[in-house]
Amino acid sequence: MTELTAFSFRPGASLLHGLDVRFKLVFLVIISLASLKAAPLALCVLTFVLIGVIIDIRLPIKVIFKELRYFLILLLFVFIARMLTTPGSSLIQFKAVSVTLEGVYGGILVCWRLVIIIMIGLSFVATTRPSEIKAAIQWFLNPFPFIPAKRVATMMSLVIRFMPVILDQAKETADAQRARGVENRKNPVYRLRKLVIPLMRRTFESADKLAVAMEARCYSENRTDPGLSSGIRDWIALFAVICLCIIIIKI
Amino acid sequence: MCDHMNIIEIENLGHRFSDGTLGLDNINLTIKEGAFVIIGGQNGSGKTTLLRHLNGLLLPNTGTIRLAGIPVSQNLARSRQIVGMVFQDSDSQIVGETVYDDVAFGPENLRLDRRQVKRRVSDALKAVGLIALADQRPHLLSGGEKRRLTIAGILAMEPKVLVFDEPFSDLDYPGVRQLLKQIFALHKAGHTILVATHDLEKVIAHADHLVIMKDGKVVRDGLPGEMVKGVEAFGVREPFDSRPGMEVKS
Repeated sequence: MTELTAFSFRPGASLLHGLDVRFKLVFLVIISLASLKAAPLALCVLTFVLIGVIIDIRLPIKVIFKELRYFLILLLFVFIARMLTTPGSSLIQFKAVSVTLEGVYGGILVCWRLVIIIMIGLSFVATTRPSEIKAAIQWFLNPFPFIPAKRVATMMSLVIRFMPVILDQAKETADAQRARGVENRKNPVYRLRKLVIPLMRRTFESADKLAVAMEARCYSENRTDPGLSSGIRDWIALFAVICLCIIIIKI
Repeated sequence: MCDHMNIIEIENLGHRFSDGTLGLDNINLTIKEGAFVIIGGQNGSGKTTLLRHLNGLLLPNTGTIRLAGIPVSQNLARSRQIVGMVFQDSDSQIVGETVYDDVAFGPENLRLDRRQVKRRVSDALKAVGLIALADQRPHLLSGGEKRRLTIAGILAMEPKVLVFDEPFSDLDYPGVRQLLKQIFALHKAGHTILVATHDLEKVIAHADHLVIMKDGKVVRDGLPGEMVKGVEAFGVREPFDSRPGMEVKS
């Protein structure tokens, strides 16, 4: 589960911690979209802004890079694929494979944007309580008459809560099967079947227990509404973010 | 009205499961307000089935259960508020993404306003000593902390009766001791406590009422000191102290 701990709320008193979650969600979307359009100079500007934000939040950068190492490997693959497949003037030629200048440039740009988007997401998640995210999504879904916003919000929070539990159970089941030599079976379908069926059964059993426990605590969809409040600070931040996005797109 | 009014009155309670097996057979039981009751019995004796009738998670086929004079089935929401239930498996009853959110779940269901929710959550977390972990994710808590979190989640609903179903399973020794201390403190604070367990030894010294169940029937019902002799016939281990004729203590 350690792979997912980077994306978790960290209490603090930074600027981002103080902003209304609905605004932050909007920022997340528009900055991410703007960064897809950004040229290298704009990416530099965005990177500096982000570094400022991350320092303000006091994210433990070292820990985060360690936890995101698998993602960095993925980025490396993206970079290599981009480098080898983009046509253009070749830098290195080895038999049929050639590394092009345009490929290297394009690869760096794509990876840079992905890192920025991940960092924006991370800053958002690190400064926002899951319950607030849930409340914001409920708020955004409320105007749609055909979506049961409260039910969606409850489902979301249960997913966040039970993901690690289910992953732990999967690991336990896999370990127990390894202890009985499942690795000697080479057929992946057989192994998957033997893993998934007990895991599913256990998950459904926990779901049953969960439903009873929720009932015992008077669960109904008619609950206290989540407390969301916005102030002048949020509107100033919105103005600043829109300016930033215009700069990013225009540079 | 007498000193201790009956908070729970069970009359001729019978329950048959949908597959036809008999879960509870003609149970009659009264529990006084502020009592500390142990419900003993081996696995499958009907303890959990009985407890689930107290807040209407299961409804009886025959008989009635009254909470402070009013039948459970008449107002399920009220019953669930009066009888708080801590289940055996902590992991499948913690619903919040953080400790705070989990404790807030109950009060939010009662549609209290934000300020009241906050007060109740912090009171409940203080009562179980988890206030410092309010922002922690439940997944990262120890077994004992998880159990205490489930208690806080119930306390936030301000129940009169606290029901524990096999509370000591899966806990290490420090976890058991801390939980016992917690339960005793809650009893002292005026809650009526019901503990269902197959291990009488841990709690019997503090109890003032012992009920033993077997095959869906109540086979013993009275003072622990008098009732504990010979319980092994019902699949429950007799506490060590009681065997050589000593007085039962923890």
